[in-house]
Amino acid sequence: MTIDYLLSILKPMLEGAQATVLLFLIAIIVSIPLGFLLTLAVRSAIKPLAWLANAYIYLMRGTPLLLQLLFIVFGLPLIPVIGEYLVLDRFVAASIGFILNYAAYFAEIFRGGLLAIDKGQYEASKVLGLNRWQTTTRVILPQMIRIALPAVANESVTLVKDTALLYAVAVPELLHFAQTAVNRDFTIIPFLIAGVIYLLITLCLTLFFKWFERRLRFD
Amino acid sequence: MAILEVSNLKKSFGQLEVLKQISFEVNKNDVVAIIGPSGSGKSTMLRSLVHLEEIDGGSIAVDGEFIVNDGVYSKPQQLKKIASKMGMVFQHFNLFPHLSVLENLVLAPKLLKQGSTTEHRERGLELLAKVGLSDKADVLPAKLSGGQKQRVAIARALMRNPEILLFDEPTSALDPELTGEVLQVMKDLAKESMTMIVVTHEMEFARDVANKAIFMDNGEIIESGSPSELLTNPKRDRTKAFLHRTVRN
Repeated sequence: MTIDYLLSILKPMLEGAQATVLLFLIAIIVSIPLGFLLTLAVRSAIKPLAWLANAYIYLMRGTPLLLQLLFIVFGLPLIPVIGEYLVLDRFVAASIGFILNYAAYFAEIFRGGLLAIDKGQYEASKVLGLNRWQTTTRVILPQMIRIALPAVANESVTLVKDTALLYAVAVPELLHFAQTAVNRDFTIIPFLIAGVIYLLITLCLTLFFKWFERRLRFD
Repeated sequence: MAILEVSNLKKSFGQLEVLKQISFEVNKNDVVAIIGPSGSGKSTMLRSLVHLEEIDGGSIAVDGEFIVNDGVYSKPQQLKKIASKMGMVFQHFNLFPHLSVLENLVLAPKLLKQGSTTEHRERGLELLAKVGLSDKADVLPAKLSGGQKQRVAIARALMRNPEILLFDEPTSALDPELTGEVLQVMKDLAKESMTMIVVTHEMEFARDVANKAIFMDNGEIIESGSPSELLTNPKRDRTKAFLHRTVRN
Protein backbone atom coordinates (compact mmCIF):
# COMPACT_ATOMS: atom_id res chain seq x y z
CA MET A 1 0.00 0.00 0.00
CA THR A 2 1.41 3.34 -1.00
CA ILE A 3 0.56 6.96 -0.56
CA ASP A 4 -0.15 7.08 -4.27
CA TYR A 5 -2.76 4.36 -3.93
CA LEU A 6 -4.41 6.16 -1.03
CA LEU A 7 -4.58 9.39 -3.02
CA SER A 8 -5.94 7.59 -6.07
CA ILE A 9 -8.91 6.15 -4.20
CA LEU A 10 -9.39 9.18 -1.97
CA LYS A 11 -10.42 11.41 -4.85
CA PRO A 12 -13.51 9.45 -5.95
CA MET A 13 -14.41 8.74 -2.34
CA LEU A 14 -14.38 12.42 -1.46
CA GLU A 15 -16.62 13.02 -4.47
CA GLY A 16 -18.92 10.36 -3.07
CA ALA A 17 -18.75 12.09 0.30
CA GLN A 18 -20.02 15.24 -1.41
CA ALA A 19 -23.21 13.44 -2.40
CA THR A 20 -23.47 12.17 1.18
CA VAL A 21 -23.12 15.64 2.66
CA LEU A 22 -25.40 17.21 0.07
CA LEU A 23 -28.17 14.71 0.78
CA PHE A 24 -27.69 15.22 4.50
CA LEU A 25 -28.01 19.00 4.20
CA ILE A 26 -31.05 18.87 1.94
CA ALA A 27 -32.77 16.32 4.17
CA ILE A 28 -32.11 18.14 7.41
CA ILE A 29 -32.91 21.64 6.17
CA VAL A 30 -36.28 20.60 4.79
CA SER A 31 -37.33 17.89 7.23
CA ILE A 32 -36.88 19.93 10.41
CA PRO A 33 -39.39 22.68 9.53
CA LEU A 34 -41.65 20.06 7.94
CA GLY A 35 -41.43 18.02 11.13
CA PHE A 36 -42.45 21.02 13.17
CA LEU A 37 -45.47 21.66 10.95
CA LEU A 38 -46.39 18.00 11.44
CA THR A 39 -46.16 18.45 15.21
CA LEU A 40 -48.52 21.40 15.00
CA ALA A 41 -50.86 19.32 12.84
CA VAL A 42 -50.80 16.47 15.37
CA ARG A 43 -51.74 18.90 18.12
CA SER A 44 -54.28 20.73 16.00
CA ALA A 45 -57.82 21.17 17.22
CA ILE A 46 -58.97 20.25 13.71
CA LYS A 47 -59.43 16.53 14.27
CA PRO A 48 -59.14 15.25 10.67
CA LEU A 49 -55.83 17.11 10.32
CA ALA A 50 -54.49 15.63 13.56
CA TRP A 51 -55.67 12.20 12.46
CA LEU A 52 -53.96 12.51 9.07
CA ALA A 53 -50.73 13.70 10.63
CA ASN A 54 -50.75 10.80 13.09
CA ALA A 55 -51.41 8.31 10.30
CA TYR A 56 -48.56 9.81 8.30
CA ILE A 57 -46.13 9.54 11.21
CA TYR A 58 -47.22 5.97 11.86
CA LEU A 59 -46.68 5.05 8.22
CA MET A 60 -43.24 6.66 7.99
CA ARG A 61 -41.97 5.27 11.27
CA GLY A 62 -43.61 1.91 10.86
CA THR A 63 -41.95 0.92 7.60
CA PRO A 64 -38.24 0.68 6.74
CA LEU A 65 -36.62 3.72 5.18
CA LEU A 66 -35.07 1.38 2.62
CA LEU A 67 -38.53 0.21 1.53
CA GLN A 68 -39.67 3.82 1.23
CA LEU A 69 -36.66 4.70 -0.91
CA LEU A 70 -37.14 1.72 -3.20
CA PHE A 71 -40.84 2.54 -3.41
CA ILE A 72 -40.21 6.13 -4.51
CA VAL A 73 -37.27 5.45 -6.84
CA PHE A 74 -38.35 2.18 -8.47
CA GLY A 75 -41.97 1.71 -7.38
CA LEU A 76 -43.71 4.95 -8.33
CA PRO A 77 -42.77 4.74 -12.06
CA LEU A 78 -44.56 1.36 -12.20
CA ILE A 79 -47.95 2.88 -11.32
CA PRO A 80 -50.24 2.60 -14.38
CA VAL A 81 -50.99 5.80 -16.33
CA ILE A 82 -49.34 8.33 -13.99
CA GLY A 83 -46.18 6.29 -13.41
CA GLU A 84 -44.36 7.71 -16.39
CA TYR A 85 -44.59 11.19 -14.87
CA LEU A 86 -43.07 9.94 -11.61
CA VAL A 87 -39.69 8.99 -13.03
CA LEU A 88 -37.47 11.34 -11.08
CA ASP A 89 -33.75 11.80 -10.96
CA ARG A 90 -32.65 9.13 -8.48
CA PHE A 91 -30.87 11.58 -6.20
CA VAL A 92 -33.93 13.86 -6.17
CA ALA A 93 -36.23 10.92 -5.52
CA ALA A 94 -34.02 9.68 -2.69
CA SER A 95 -33.91 13.18 -1.18
CA ILE A 96 -37.70 13.26 -1.14
CA GLY A 97 -37.72 9.88 0.57
CA PHE A 98 -35.31 11.03 3.28
CA ILE A 99 -37.22 14.27 3.84
CA LEU A 100 -40.57 12.52 4.18
CA ASN A 101 -39.16 9.89 6.52
CA TYR A 102 -37.11 12.18 8.74
CA ALA A 103 -39.89 14.76 9.04
CA ALA A 104 -41.91 12.09 10.86
CA TYR A 105 -39.10 11.42 13.32
CA PHE A 106 -38.48 15.11 13.92
CA ALA A 107 -42.22 15.62 14.45
CA GLU A 108 -42.11 13.08 17.28
CA ILE A 109 -39.03 14.73 18.78
CA PHE A 110 -40.67 18.16 18.71
CA ARG A 111 -43.87 16.77 20.16
CA GLY A 112 -41.83 15.46 23.07
CA GLY A 113 -40.24 18.89 23.44
CA LEU A 114 -43.62 20.57 23.55
CA LEU A 115 -44.90 18.12 26.17
CA ALA A 116 -41.97 19.06 28.39
CA ILE A 117 -43.01 22.72 28.46
CA ASP A 118 -44.99 23.64 31.55
CA LYS A 119 -48.56 24.76 30.93
CA GLY A 120 -47.79 27.76 33.12
CA GLN A 121 -45.85 29.18 30.16
CA TYR A 122 -49.03 29.25 28.07
CA GLU A 123 -51.02 30.68 30.96
CA ALA A 124 -48.54 33.46 31.67
CA SER A 125 -48.48 34.33 27.96
CA LYS A 126 -52.25 34.46 27.80
CA VAL A 127 -52.61 36.64 30.88
CA LEU A 128 -49.95 38.99 29.49
CA GLY A 129 -52.09 39.40 26.38
CA LEU A 130 -50.05 37.47 23.82
CA ASN A 131 -52.01 35.80 21.03
CA ARG A 132 -51.46 32.20 19.97
CA TRP A 133 -48.96 33.01 17.26
CA GLN A 134 -46.89 35.23 19.55
CA THR A 135 -46.99 32.62 22.29
CA THR A 136 -45.87 29.88 19.93
CA THR A 137 -43.05 31.80 18.23
CA ARG A 138 -41.70 33.85 21.13
CA VAL A 139 -42.32 31.70 24.18
CA ILE A 140 -42.84 28.07 23.23
CA LEU A 141 -40.60 27.53 20.17
CA PRO A 142 -37.37 28.83 21.72
CA GLN A 143 -37.84 26.55 24.71
CA MET A 144 -38.88 23.60 22.59
CA ILE A 145 -35.77 23.93 20.41
CA ARG A 146 -33.56 23.91 23.48
CA ILE A 147 -35.31 20.86 24.95
CA ALA A 148 -35.36 18.96 21.66
CA LEU A 149 -31.77 19.78 20.69
CA PRO A 150 -30.02 16.68 22.10
CA ALA A 151 -32.55 14.41 20.38
CA VAL A 152 -32.25 16.40 17.14
CA ALA A 153 -28.46 16.04 17.31
CA ASN A 154 -28.82 12.30 17.78
CA GLU A 155 -31.23 12.00 14.88
CA SER A 156 -28.87 14.04 12.67
CA VAL A 157 -26.03 11.62 13.30
CA THR A 158 -28.33 8.76 12.35
CA LEU A 159 -29.22 10.66 9.18
CA VAL A 160 -25.55 10.92 8.17
CA LYS A 161 -25.21 7.16 8.41
CA ASP A 162 -28.56 6.50 6.73
CA THR A 163 -27.31 8.31 3.62
CA ALA A 164 -25.47 5.06 2.92
CA LEU A 165 -28.87 3.72 1.83
CA LEU A 166 -28.32 5.67 -1.39
CA TYR A 167 -26.19 2.67 -2.29
CA ALA A 168 -29.35 0.58 -2.63
CA VAL A 169 -30.94 2.95 -5.13
CA ALA A 170 -27.72 3.21 -7.13
CA VAL A 171 -26.89 6.83 -6.42
CA PRO A 172 -23.10 7.08 -6.22
CA GLU A 173 -22.07 8.21 -2.75
CA LEU A 174 -19.28 7.53 -0.28
CA LEU A 175 -20.05 3.87 0.39
CA HIS A 176 -20.59 3.14 -3.31
CA PHE A 177 -17.07 4.31 -4.19
CA ALA A 178 -15.58 2.42 -1.26
CA GLN A 179 -17.31 -0.80 -2.34
CA THR A 180 -16.18 -0.30 -5.94
CA ALA A 181 -12.57 0.16 -4.87
CA VAL A 182 -12.70 -2.87 -2.59
CA ASN A 183 -14.03 -5.08 -5.40
CA ARG A 184 -11.55 -3.75 -7.91
CA ASP A 185 -8.39 -3.70 -5.79
CA PHE A 186 -9.20 -6.50 -3.40
CA THR A 187 -8.17 -4.59 -0.29
CA ILE A 188 -9.96 -3.58 2.88
CA ILE A 189 -8.43 -0.08 2.90
CA PRO A 190 -11.30 1.75 1.13
CA PHE A 191 -13.76 0.51 3.78
CA LEU A 192 -11.51 1.90 6.50
CA ILE A 193 -11.23 5.22 4.72
CA ALA A 194 -15.00 5.38 4.31
CA GLY A 195 -15.36 4.73 8.04
CA VAL A 196 -12.96 7.55 8.85
CA ILE A 197 -14.80 9.97 6.55
CA TYR A 198 -18.16 9.12 8.19
CA LEU A 199 -16.55 9.64 11.59
CA LEU A 200 -15.19 13.03 10.55
CA ILE A 201 -18.60 14.15 9.30
CA THR A 202 -20.35 13.04 12.49
CA LEU A 203 -17.60 14.61 14.59
CA CYS A 204 -18.20 18.00 12.94
CA LEU A 205 -21.90 17.56 13.51
CA THR A 206 -21.48 16.62 17.15
CA LEU A 207 -19.21 19.61 17.80
CA PHE A 208 -21.68 21.92 16.08
CA PHE A 209 -24.59 20.69 18.19
CA LYS A 210 -22.55 20.90 21.40
CA TRP A 211 -21.74 24.52 20.58
CA PHE A 212 -25.36 25.25 19.72
CA GLU A 213 -26.57 23.66 22.96
CA ARG A 214 -24.23 25.83 24.99
CA ARG A 215 -25.45 28.91 23.17
CA LEU A 216 -29.11 28.17 23.86
CA ARG A 217 -28.59 27.12 27.44
CA PHE A 218 -30.91 28.74 29.93
CA ASP A 219 -30.78 26.50 32.97
CA MET B 1 -67.66 51.85 43.54
CA ALA B 2 -67.06 48.20 42.75
CA ILE B 3 -64.23 47.69 40.28
CA LEU B 4 -64.92 43.96 40.10
CA GLU B 5 -68.32 42.35 40.39
CA VAL B 6 -68.70 38.61 40.47
CA SER B 7 -72.13 37.07 40.70
CA ASN B 8 -73.39 33.50 40.80
CA LEU B 9 -70.22 32.05 39.37
CA LYS B 10 -70.60 28.37 38.58
CA LYS B 11 -68.01 25.92 37.37
CA SER B 12 -67.82 22.14 37.17
CA PHE B 13 -65.11 19.74 36.15
CA GLY B 14 -67.24 16.87 34.86
CA GLN B 15 -69.48 15.78 37.72
CA LEU B 16 -67.52 17.76 40.27
CA GLU B 17 -68.95 21.18 41.11
CA VAL B 18 -65.91 23.28 42.03
CA LEU B 19 -67.66 26.65 42.19
CA LYS B 20 -71.23 26.95 43.40
CA GLN B 21 -72.86 30.34 42.99
CA ILE B 22 -69.90 32.48 44.03
CA SER B 23 -70.73 36.18 44.43
CA PHE B 24 -68.60 39.01 45.75
CA GLU B 25 -67.48 42.53 44.97
CA VAL B 26 -64.12 44.22 45.09
CA ASN B 27 -63.83 47.97 45.42
CA LYS B 28 -61.02 50.11 44.13
CA ASN B 29 -57.98 49.97 46.46
CA ASP B 30 -59.27 46.88 48.22
CA VAL B 31 -56.86 44.18 49.24
CA VAL B 32 -58.89 40.99 49.39
CA ALA B 33 -57.47 37.84 50.96
CA ILE B 34 -59.09 34.61 49.90
CA ILE B 35 -58.45 31.78 52.29
CA GLY B 36 -59.67 28.24 52.62
CA PRO B 37 -58.54 24.63 52.50
CA SER B 38 -56.96 23.23 49.35
CA GLY B 39 -59.53 22.03 46.87
CA SER B 40 -61.99 24.66 48.02
CA GLY B 41 -62.06 26.33 44.58
CA LYS B 42 -60.04 29.44 45.47
CA SER B 43 -57.56 29.11 42.65
CA THR B 44 -60.19 28.08 40.11
CA MET B 45 -62.21 31.15 41.06
CA LEU B 46 -59.19 33.43 40.66
CA ARG B 47 -58.19 31.84 37.36
CA SER B 48 -61.70 32.22 35.97
CA LEU B 49 -61.42 35.99 36.48
CA VAL B 50 -58.66 36.17 33.85
CA HIS B 51 -60.29 33.55 31.62
CA LEU B 52 -57.78 30.80 32.35
CA GLU B 53 -60.83 28.77 33.30
CA GLU B 54 -64.10 28.88 31.39
CA ILE B 55 -67.04 29.24 33.74
CA ASP B 56 -70.39 27.49 33.25
CA GLY B 57 -72.65 30.20 34.59
CA GLY B 58 -72.78 33.58 36.30
CA SER B 59 -71.26 36.98 35.55
CA ILE B 60 -67.93 38.75 35.91
CA ALA B 61 -67.66 42.48 35.29
CA VAL B 62 -64.64 44.78 35.56
CA ASP B 63 -65.32 48.51 35.72
CA GLY B 64 -68.90 47.76 34.77
CA GLU B 65 -67.92 45.91 31.59
CA PHE B 66 -68.84 42.26 31.36
CA ILE B 67 -66.23 39.61 30.70
CA VAL B 68 -69.05 37.13 30.97
CA ASN B 69 -72.69 38.01 31.43
CA ASP B 70 -74.97 35.31 32.80
CA GLY B 71 -72.77 32.56 31.36
CA VAL B 72 -72.25 34.25 27.96
CA TYR B 73 -68.72 35.44 27.23
CA SER B 74 -68.07 38.76 25.50
CA LYS B 75 -66.50 38.83 22.04
CA PRO B 76 -62.77 37.96 21.98
CA GLN B 77 -61.66 41.56 21.29
CA GLN B 78 -63.76 42.92 24.14
CA LEU B 79 -62.64 40.08 26.38
CA LYS B 80 -59.01 40.83 25.70
CA LYS B 81 -59.50 44.51 26.41
CA ILE B 82 -61.18 43.91 29.75
CA ALA B 83 -58.79 41.13 30.76
CA SER B 84 -55.88 43.51 30.16
CA LYS B 85 -57.02 45.46 33.21
CA MET B 86 -55.96 42.53 35.35
CA GLY B 87 -52.50 41.21 36.05
CA MET B 88 -51.77 37.80 37.48
CA VAL B 89 -48.99 36.40 39.63
CA PHE B 90 -48.74 32.61 39.73
CA GLN B 91 -47.66 30.21 42.42
CA HIS B 92 -44.87 28.88 40.23
CA PHE B 93 -43.86 32.29 38.82
CA ASN B 94 -44.09 31.12 35.20
CA LEU B 95 -41.23 33.34 34.10
CA PHE B 96 -39.96 32.73 30.57
CA PRO B 97 -36.74 30.77 31.23
CA HIS B 98 -35.10 31.60 27.89
CA LEU B 99 -35.36 35.36 28.39
CA SER B 100 -33.45 37.62 30.75
CA VAL B 101 -35.30 39.30 33.62
CA LEU B 102 -35.72 42.56 31.71
CA GLU B 103 -36.75 40.72 28.54
CA ASN B 104 -39.41 38.92 30.58
CA LEU B 105 -40.82 42.31 31.49
CA VAL B 106 -40.72 43.94 28.07
CA LEU B 107 -41.78 40.98 25.89
CA ALA B 108 -45.53 41.52 26.12
CA PRO B 109 -45.57 45.32 25.74
CA LYS B 110 -43.14 44.97 22.84
CA LEU B 111 -45.28 42.38 21.02
CA LEU B 112 -48.48 44.28 21.78
CA LYS B 113 -46.83 47.44 20.44
CA GLN B 114 -47.76 49.56 23.42
CA GLY B 115 -45.30 52.44 23.35
CA SER B 116 -41.67 52.55 22.26
CA THR B 117 -38.81 50.20 23.07
CA THR B 118 -37.12 52.88 25.15
CA GLU B 119 -40.28 53.40 27.15
CA HIS B 120 -40.59 49.66 27.82
CA ARG B 121 -37.00 49.50 28.94
CA GLU B 122 -37.32 52.47 31.23
CA ARG B 123 -40.56 51.22 32.72
CA GLY B 124 -39.04 47.76 33.16
CA LEU B 125 -35.98 49.09 34.96
CA GLU B 126 -38.17 51.30 37.10
CA LEU B 127 -40.27 48.31 38.17
CA LEU B 128 -37.20 46.18 38.82
CA ALA B 129 -35.92 48.93 41.09
CA LYS B 130 -39.26 48.93 42.84
CA VAL B 131 -39.03 45.20 43.62
CA GLY B 132 -35.36 45.60 44.55
CA LEU B 133 -33.83 43.74 41.62
CA SER B 134 -32.17 46.45 39.54
CA ASP B 135 -28.93 44.49 39.47
CA LYS B 136 -30.62 41.41 37.97
CA ALA B 137 -31.97 42.97 34.75
CA ASP B 138 -29.72 40.96 32.42
CA VAL B 139 -29.73 37.67 34.34
CA LEU B 140 -31.64 34.58 33.29
CA PRO B 141 -34.41 33.47 35.70
CA ALA B 142 -32.54 30.23 36.47
CA LYS B 143 -29.94 32.29 38.31
CA LEU B 144 -32.51 33.73 40.73
CA SER B 145 -33.84 32.46 44.04
CA GLY B 146 -37.55 31.66 44.31
CA GLY B 147 -38.25 34.90 46.12
CA GLN B 148 -36.43 36.90 43.45
CA LYS B 149 -38.31 35.06 40.70
CA GLN B 150 -41.63 35.92 42.27
CA ARG B 151 -40.62 39.58 42.59
CA VAL B 152 -39.73 39.57 38.87
CA ALA B 153 -43.12 37.99 38.16
CA ILE B 154 -44.83 40.78 40.09
CA ALA B 155 -42.85 43.41 38.16
CA ARG B 156 -43.82 41.69 34.90
CA ALA B 157 -47.51 41.76 35.86
CA LEU B 158 -47.20 45.47 36.67
CA MET B 159 -45.82 46.32 33.21
CA ARG B 160 -49.35 46.61 31.83
CA ASN B 161 -50.42 48.96 34.63
CA PRO B 162 -53.26 46.67 35.69
CA GLU B 163 -56.14 48.02 37.70
CA ILE B 164 -56.39 44.78 39.64
CA LEU B 165 -53.54 42.45 40.49
CA LEU B 166 -54.38 38.81 41.19
CA PHE B 167 -52.09 36.55 43.21
CA ASP B 168 -52.51 32.78 43.18
CA GLU B 169 -50.73 31.53 46.30
CA PRO B 170 -47.70 33.71 45.56
CA THR B 171 -45.59 32.37 48.42
CA SER B 172 -46.65 28.72 48.51
CA ALA B 173 -43.79 27.50 46.35
CA LEU B 174 -41.16 29.39 48.33
CA ASP B 175 -38.88 28.33 51.14
CA PRO B 176 -40.16 29.91 54.37
CA GLU B 177 -37.22 32.30 54.65
CA LEU B 178 -37.98 33.71 51.17
CA THR B 179 -41.66 34.51 51.66
CA GLY B 180 -40.88 37.74 53.55
CA GLU B 181 -39.35 39.58 50.60
CA VAL B 182 -42.34 38.77 48.38
CA LEU B 183 -44.89 39.75 51.04
CA GLN B 184 -42.98 42.99 51.55
CA VAL B 185 -43.37 43.89 47.86
CA MET B 186 -47.08 43.12 48.14
CA LYS B 187 -47.37 45.29 51.25
CA ASP B 188 -45.69 48.15 49.38
CA LEU B 189 -48.18 47.76 46.56
CA ALA B 190 -51.06 47.83 49.04
CA LYS B 191 -49.67 51.06 50.46
CA GLU B 192 -49.73 52.53 46.95
CA SER B 193 -53.44 51.63 46.81
CA MET B 194 -53.09 48.83 44.32
CA THR B 195 -56.26 46.77 44.14
CA MET B 196 -55.31 43.18 44.89
CA ILE B 197 -56.99 39.83 45.24
CA VAL B 198 -54.74 37.33 46.96
CA VAL B 199 -55.35 33.62 47.35
CA THR B 200 -53.12 32.83 50.29
CA HIS B 201 -52.27 30.63 53.22
CA GLU B 202 -50.46 33.50 54.93
CA MET B 203 -52.87 34.37 57.71
CA GLU B 204 -50.57 37.05 59.01
CA PHE B 205 -50.56 38.77 55.63
CA ALA B 206 -54.35 38.48 55.45
CA ARG B 207 -54.69 40.09 58.86
CA ASP B 208 -52.08 42.82 58.46
CA VAL B 209 -52.48 43.88 54.85
CA ALA B 210 -55.90 42.87 53.57
CA ASN B 211 -58.97 44.97 54.30
CA LYS B 212 -61.32 42.19 53.35
CA ALA B 213 -61.16 38.44 53.80
CA ILE B 214 -63.18 35.74 52.11
CA PHE B 215 -63.27 32.20 53.43
CA MET B 216 -64.09 29.54 50.83
CA ASP B 217 -64.78 25.88 51.35
CA ASN B 218 -66.10 23.26 48.99
CA GLY B 219 -66.79 25.72 46.17
CA GLU B 220 -68.73 28.20 48.28
CA ILE B 221 -68.04 31.44 50.09
CA ILE B 222 -68.74 30.49 53.68
CA GLU B 223 -67.99 33.79 55.28
CA SER B 224 -66.49 37.16 54.42
CA GLY B 225 -65.72 40.38 56.22
CA SER B 226 -62.91 42.29 57.79
CA PRO B 227 -59.84 40.09 58.22
CA SER B 228 -59.41 40.75 61.92
CA GLU B 229 -63.04 39.86 62.53
CA LEU B 230 -63.02 36.77 60.33
CA LEU B 231 -59.70 35.45 61.56
CA THR B 232 -60.15 36.04 65.27
CA ASN B 233 -63.86 35.76 65.64
CA PRO B 234 -65.29 33.54 62.89
CA LYS B 235 -69.01 32.97 62.95
CA ARG B 236 -69.34 29.77 60.96
CA ASP B 237 -68.24 26.36 62.17
CA ARG B 238 -66.35 25.50 58.99
CA THR B 239 -64.32 28.69 59.26
CA LYS B 240 -63.57 27.93 62.87
CA ALA B 241 -62.49 24.39 62.08
CA PHE B 242 -60.22 25.58 59.26
CA LEU B 243 -58.60 28.33 61.31
CA HIS B 244 -58.18 25.95 64.21
CA ARG B 245 -56.29 23.53 61.95
CA THR B 246 -54.16 26.23 60.35
CA VAL B 247 -53.16 27.87 63.60
CA ARG B 248 -52.36 24.58 65.24
CA ASN B 249 -50.09 23.55 62.35
